[in-house]
Amino acid sequence: MTAAARIVMNEIKGYHNFIKLMMVLVGIGALASLVRFIFGLGVTTNLNDTYPWGLWISFDVVTAVPLAAGAFTIGIVAHVFHIRKLEPLVRPAIVTGFLGYSLVCVGLLLDLGQPQRGINVLRYWNLHSPMFEVSMCVMAYTTVLTLEFLHPVAERFGWHLPLRLLRTLELPFAILAAMISTLHQSTLGTFFLIAVDKLHSLWYNPLLPLQFWLSAIFTGLSIVIFEASLVHKYMGQPDESELLATLTKIIPWIMGVYLCIKLYALAFLTHGPLFDRPVLLALFLAEIGAGVILPMGMFFTRKIKTDKKMQLRAASLVIFGLVLNRFNVSMFGMEQPGQLIYAPSIIESLVTIGIIAAHVLFFVLIAKYFPIFEHHPEATDYTIPDHFHRIEGHESKAGHELRAEG
Amino acid sequence: MTNHWIDLKNSDAIFIIGCNPAENHPISFKWIEQAVDNGANLIVADPRYTRSASKADIYAQLRPGTDIAFLGGLINYALQNNLIHAEYVREYTNAAFIVNEKYDFQDGLFCSFDDQEKSYDLKSWAYAVDGAGNPRRDMSLKDPRCVYQLLKKHYSRYNVDTVCNITGTPKEAYLKVAKAFCATGRPDKAGTILYAMGITQSTHGTQNVRAVAMLQMLLGNIGIAGGGVNALRGESNVQGSSDYGLLFHLLPGYLKSPEFDNVDLKAYNEKWTPKTKDPKSANWWGNTPKYVTSLLKAWYGDHATKENDFCYSYLPKRMGSYAYGKIMEKMGKGELEGLVCMGMNPAMGGPDSGKAREALGKLKWLVTVDLWETETSIFWKRPGVNPKDIQTEVFMLPAASSVEKEGSISNSGRWAQWRYKAVEPVGQSMSDLWIIDQFYKRIKALYVKDKGAFPEPITRLSWNYGEGHEPEVHLVAQEINGHFTRDMTIVDKDKTLEFKKGDPVPMFKYLQDDGSTTSGCWIYTGSYTKEGNQMARRDQSDPTGLGLFPKWAWCWPVNRRIIYNRASVNPAGEPFNPKRPVIAWDGLEKKWKGDVPDGPWPPMKDDKEGKYPFIMLAEGHARLYALDMKDGPFPEHYEPMESPTRNLLSKVQNNPAVAVPKNVSSDLAKFPFIGTTYRMTEHWQAGAMTRSLPWLAELVPDMFVEISESLAKQKGLKKGDKVRVVTERGSIEAVTLVTSRLKPFNVGGTMVEQVGMPWHFGYAGLATGDSANMLTPTVGCANTSIPEFKAFLCNIEKGGNKG
Amino acid sequence: MSTTSIDFNKTRTFLIDTTKCTGCRGCQVACKQWNQLKAENTHFFSGEGYQNPPAMSEYTFTRIKFKDYQKNGQNEFAFYKEMCMHCNDPACASVCPVGAFRKTAEGPVIYDDKRCIGCRFCMMACPFGVPKYEWSKAFPLVKKCTGCYSRVKNGKEPACATACPTAISYGPRAEMVKEAEKRLKAKPERYFPAIYGKEEAGGTSVLYLTHQPLDELGFKPITKRPLPSYTWQALRFVPGIFLGVGGTLSLVSWFQHRKDRIRKEEEERAAAKADSTKGVNE
Ligand SMILES: Nc1nc2c(c(=O)[nH]1)N[C@H]1C(S)=C(S)[C@@H](COP(=O)(O)OP(=O)(O)OC[C@H]3O[C@@H](n4cnc5c(=O)[nH]c(N)nc54)[C@H](O)[C@@H]3O)O[C@H]1N2
Ligand SMILES: Nc1nc2c(c(=O)[nH]1)N[C@H]1C(S)=C(S)[C@@H](COP(=O)(O)OP(=O)(O)OC[C@H]3O[C@@H](n4cnc5c(=O)[nH]c(N)nc54)[C@H](O)[C@@H]3O)O[C@H]1N2
Ligand code: SF4
Ligand code: SF4
Ligand code: SF4
Ligand code: SF4
Ligand code: SF4
Ligand SMILES: [Mo]
Repeated sequence: MTAAARIVMNEIKGYHNFIKLMMVLVGIGALASLVRFIFGLGVTTNLNDTYPWGLWISFDVVTAVPLAAGAFTIGIVAHVFHIRKLEPLVRPAIVTGFLGYSLVCVGLLLDLGQPQRGINVLRYWNLHSPMFEVSMCVMAYTTVLTLEFLHPVAERFGWHLPLRLLRTLELPFAILAAMISTLHQSTLGTFFLIAVDKLHSLWYNPLLPLQFWLSAIFTGLSIVIFEASLVHKYMGQPDESELLATLTKIIPWIMGVYLCIKLYALAFLTHGPLFDRPVLLALFLAEIGAGVILPMGMFFTRKIKTDKKMQLRAASLVIFGLVLNRFNVSMFGMEQPGQLIYAPSIIESLVTIGIIAAHVLFFVLIAKYFPIFEHHPEATDYTIPDHFHRIEGHESKAGHELRAEG
Repeated sequence: MTNHWIDLKNSDAIFIIGCNPAENHPISFKWIEQAVDNGANLIVADPRYTRSASKADIYAQLRPGTDIAFLGGLINYALQNNLIHAEYVREYTNAAFIVNEKYDFQDGLFCSFDDQEKSYDLKSWAYAVDGAGNPRRDMSLKDPRCVYQLLKKHYSRYNVDTVCNITGTPKEAYLKVAKAFCATGRPDKAGTILYAMGITQSTHGTQNVRAVAMLQMLLGNIGIAGGGVNALRGESNVQGSSDYGLLFHLLPGYLKSPEFDNVDLKAYNEKWTPKTKDPKSANWWGNTPKYVTSLLKAWYGDHATKENDFCYSYLPKRMGSYAYGKIMEKMGKGELEGLVCMGMNPAMGGPDSGKAREALGKLKWLVTVDLWETETSIFWKRPGVNPKDIQTEVFMLPAASSVEKEGSISNSGRWAQWRYKAVEPVGQSMSDLWIIDQFYKRIKALYVKDKGAFPEPITRLSWNYGEGHEPEVHLVAQEINGHFTRDMTIVDKDKTLEFKKGDPVPMFKYLQDDGSTTSGCWIYTGSYTKEGNQMARRDQSDPTGLGLFPKWAWCWPVNRRIIYNRASVNPAGEPFNPKRPVIAWDGLEKKWKGDVPDGPWPPMKDDKEGKYPFIMLAEGHARLYALDMKDGPFPEHYEPMESPTRNLLSKVQNNPAVAVPKNVSSDLAKFPFIGTTYRMTEHWQAGAMTRSLPWLAELVPDMFVEISESLAKQKGLKKGDKVRVVTERGSIEAVTLVTSRLKPFNVGGTMVEQVGMPWHFGYAGLATGDSANMLTPTVGCANTSIPEFKAFLCNIEKGGNKG
Repeated sequence: MSTTSIDFNKTRTFLIDTTKCTGCRGCQVACKQWNQLKAENTHFFSGEGYQNPPAMSEYTFTRIKFKDYQKNGQNEFAFYKEMCMHCNDPACASVCPVGAFRKTAEGPVIYDDKRCIGCRFCMMACPFGVPKYEWSKAFPLVKKCTGCYSRVKNGKEPACATACPTAISYGPRAEMVKEAEKRLKAKPERYFPAIYGKEEAGGTSVLYLTHQPLDELGFKPITKRPLPSYTWQALRFVPGIFLGVGGTLSLVSWFQHRKDRIRKEEEERAAAKADSTKGVNE
């Protein structure tokens, strides 16, 4: 065992059991992915000609993308609307976004039958394909997020010049992120516009892209609340509920608009029967009732500004609503009467669990080793010092040790 | 077929009875659909609602084995309602002929039946003759002893109610069929009847066919475009094999094979050459001596001389039956030493195949010449037997398939079409011609060496098919056509024709009985002429617009596309239906226009030279009343050997001319259901050719039985259940297909269920399953011995063999 | 991938008259033979009648569906050929991110397997459920009826059409539509009064005539609009939205930053003032 490896092992031994569990899950997920590549989709998944898309598309892509929307929404709020006090929320959101999108890419590659040809998307353009658009956006946005994520990295390692540059680019990036995200968040909805005779009328309507976009925005913001609350609760990070209160003011209005559009679409833009499938109706009501109306009501209360628990609950409900919505649209609502029901295979499930675990794990690790939460831009020195040195006093202890012994 | 496939499009009513062309002759539907597009009625009578039935305008269900009742009812309907084509019937059929006084029919039996021998004295059915020896006729058809009146009387018993009671056909459906088909009795309407195994595989199969023919005669439907009696032949070249004399009682060209008492050529000719004193009868079989002599010349060449009776003595003389069933019986008794099985699969194809499989084990040796390993070639390791117990030595010779060799194939429409070799034979397989050539050469060498009791029939055969490794198939075709053995001058009416020795004979009318011509099969004379191989022609011109395509391939006889076409015109030679004339007499040019006519003579009305249209019969008239059927001059309904009911029409239960075998049982307590076997599109026959092909095995992978919804309910069966089907002969396992396409029959008031099954499955090949022929009885038609595969009694039980 | 250059009157089109189909399955086998597709391992029958295999698949590009039922006491034994509809404006082509599917001017919608990345969006998109996947392979491709493009391009008819004794006519779309209309008019009692595929999905290169009502035979009711138009109605806004969002947000941020700047400046000014006052005071 090399010295470096020993250090890493020692480091890991010190981790909380939860992190270890995550590591195990990630490991299992990685193994499962390997199995998938060796044996192919047909053997390892429950996908078939009736269900060409399953858990990986419904969750790892269609759901994960809006769940990672916090980065661009908070970016808009903080940078574009220039509400500077919210800037501390930006970095965690960007990390979440960065991880989210990276893992979406992983998910996509896992799901592709010919992943080695992914590059073809850049070679052969089909402007009529929503998938083309989403792929391009995801690639572009992942790049943007990577650059944004370089921010804490540069700061961590004291790379002044890139740091300075990135600081300057913060606003343009935020705008670019919003542009790109608007496109692909909505286009994920456009995907299902082609399923005109497949997707049940409870979900199918021409405003689906707009609904996807709006729900991504309020869910993105809710994710920020959700994350900050958890991080405060479990990682001993400062309580940002005051900042979150600002968000709770924004969220319900967007939800309101969303709900209006949804009801309008149901009432006026839908063609097929709405109430012919009891199970779907129940799913729909759960999604709208528990996932939209209830949290919206909570957000509209005064109490939520101060009640941390309520913030977390409301945000959780929004997230639940979004997940259910994306599954309803991409899976349940597509099921034709009498069709066999799809359930993901063990491999599929392990991979998805692995991906979720990876998300949590990497987030925690990044938070551990990089300046994510303690970042308060007003306190950061973005000037380029004469001696091109790292910024003193901004090193975490662990980082220091790592460098010292590495 | 009197007509041919393409001609189906000319029909106004297509009556499918006892065949299932959508499934077994799919291409026929190309033409059937065209007829339907032009307004034809499509009628299907079948025990099951088949894929053919699904296309029909009228479907009538009938109980297996009751076709004579069904058709007899139609005959009665046409007669009673005056729908017959009167002129046709009077002039062209034997309706006007007077039958001798002896003839009688009483309660199911014709006169002169010998109960011991189970046979009739056919002579007692003869026509009454006048002083000149010609049959007496009453052109008014009023004489109570004329065929017409006897016929009317015979079938008056077949009224609609009685018929439907027997056949189980719903009355409305029956009346619809009667109305629609009998409407073709009008001269300007054509109706065709298509039949195959549903009609022939019966103890009264030949009489079924006769009933078909009689209905067509009465409606004036024979000889015309869109009409005819059309047997849809089975195996791809079965027409060719019958033409070339594959059956034990026939020589090539439907010449009779000699019987033991035809001691010399003269006796043979005496026996088999029909005679007539009527100058208007062409009596074409009167040429029999020319054809036999030419055949002997083809076989024995220069050895065959007038002096030695053209080697007639070399021909085997038969006594009794050599039919398939008899061979199996003998084999079972160990009376056969060896068997050469060339392109057939007796472990599968015959009835009671359990017995057949056992019989194969009694052979010393067995040669199979086939494309595949078949149930026959592996009979010694079939399920349930110990190979050690079987001593038969089996030789498998791999045969090349039809696309791997050149030659002709004759289709149901009598078209001989030349085919080329598409690919080289697979592996070590060889063409059948090569195999037979080798057989011959080696056997001849043995005879030359060892002599033996009577080597000449083999050693003297003229066997000249080239010197190459592979016999020259064109030489075979040329031998079949025949040639002149010396320079000849023939005067034909106003023409004088010169032929050189070796020239091909252009038409069979130039064949001679003096040894100056050869012909391996007289009906094919003209197929390979000076102009070349006529069978290989591919000219798509169709001058008549009837789809005759006279320059596409070649058709026997003399390239005549619709036979008996002299019956398509009135006695003056004018087409009955001017819109679809097959031939027409051109009075000015003094010749026929259109198809090749049935003989060049002017129309029948011409006092000097005119001839009757049915030239193959001595009396020149189509036989509503037959003289040479073993089981009666009129088809009479009898129940199949195993039947769920007593005969509702007479006291005679089964065809009296058929001996009742031992292992049949009509015990309804044990075997309450009607069993029937059939084919389906996806498989071919005994299955070797399809159950070994993955693409076809995929379509129908398992042996199954079809049962009605009511039987399923009664037996607690549902689709996919394993069942056991049992008869007196054996029991098999199959998967159940419950379908409303099969329905029980109302037989005289009680409902009788049917159990249908394909007979394609066996233990060899990719897709395997139990064989339906384990169940079928060894009993056959009085005239042809074709087995009764379509109507037997069985029981069905839930659970498979193990259950 | 605009298909506007294609003259849909001329695209080769199947007219499948199911009233003439005998269910012989010659087409099904001819397709396997021409495309050298593996036989499937089947058991008994997979549906009504003698239906097999259970569905179209990577090995089965076309299949005869059997309908075996009774209606008003009459038997119905119906057969129809399932295959790619070769849509005029194919959903599969429009959704494919790499443009692997293409509607040809000859009629067939063809697939370029070298482009395919295997996202299976085409399978989701096709309203007729046609594209199938090589689930048996580690690196699978999409499989579907090729319309026998290689034959059609060379002036031949597709293998299945060639094999069919009765039911399939093949020719320019306008002629096939005309022929179908002629049949409907000539024999109204024979046909259900509709030509499936004439307008479905915006029109297809496979047209069906049936005897029984379409839904009874299992023909899916499909929108008459070309499917790509459903996504295009959203996607066409993409450039506008992209620039719109960018522009709006730039403006907003300019405005917000300006406010901020002004506030800062004011603060600074105030500070400076305070400074100067201070200084004065000092
Ligand atoms: N695909 C395919 N085609 C074939 C063959 C094959 O094996 N497979 N075999 C070929 C051969 S050799 C032959 S001989 C032909 C035979 O061709 P068909 O005669 O068409 O064959 P089958 O299916 O035996 O019988 C035809 C129909 O007769 C019905 N039937 C049964 N009993 C009766 C009855 O008593 N009266 C009437 N009227 N109908 C009855 C059956 O229900 C069946 O639908 O097919 C040839 N074509
Ligand atoms: N229960 C029941 N039994 C029946 C019938 C029925 O309807 N019901 N139908 C009967 C009828 S009509 C018939 S015709 C018989 C058929 O009975 P069989 O003739 O015994 O059956 P096939 O399977 O046709 O056998 C033909 C064999 O020839 C082989 N073969 C094909 N081409 C060639 C070739 O070029 N050369 C050689 N040497 N071999 C070749 C094939 O592989 C196949 O094994 O079955 C009869 N049996
Ligand atoms: S198998 Fe051959 S002979 Fe029989 S219907 Fe088909 S094409 Fe004709
Ligand atoms: S039917 Fe489906 S696969 Fe075929 S062209 Fe249309 S959309 Fe594409
Ligand atoms: S699976 Fe292949 S062909 Fe289908 S949409 Fe994806 S890239 Fe295109
Ligand atoms: S067009 Fe070609 S590929 Fe398509 S079903 Fe027909 S034969 Fe098969
Ligand atoms: S080949 Fe023609 S008739 Fe036969 S099943 Fe196919 S479409 Fe129907
Ligand atoms: Mo046959």
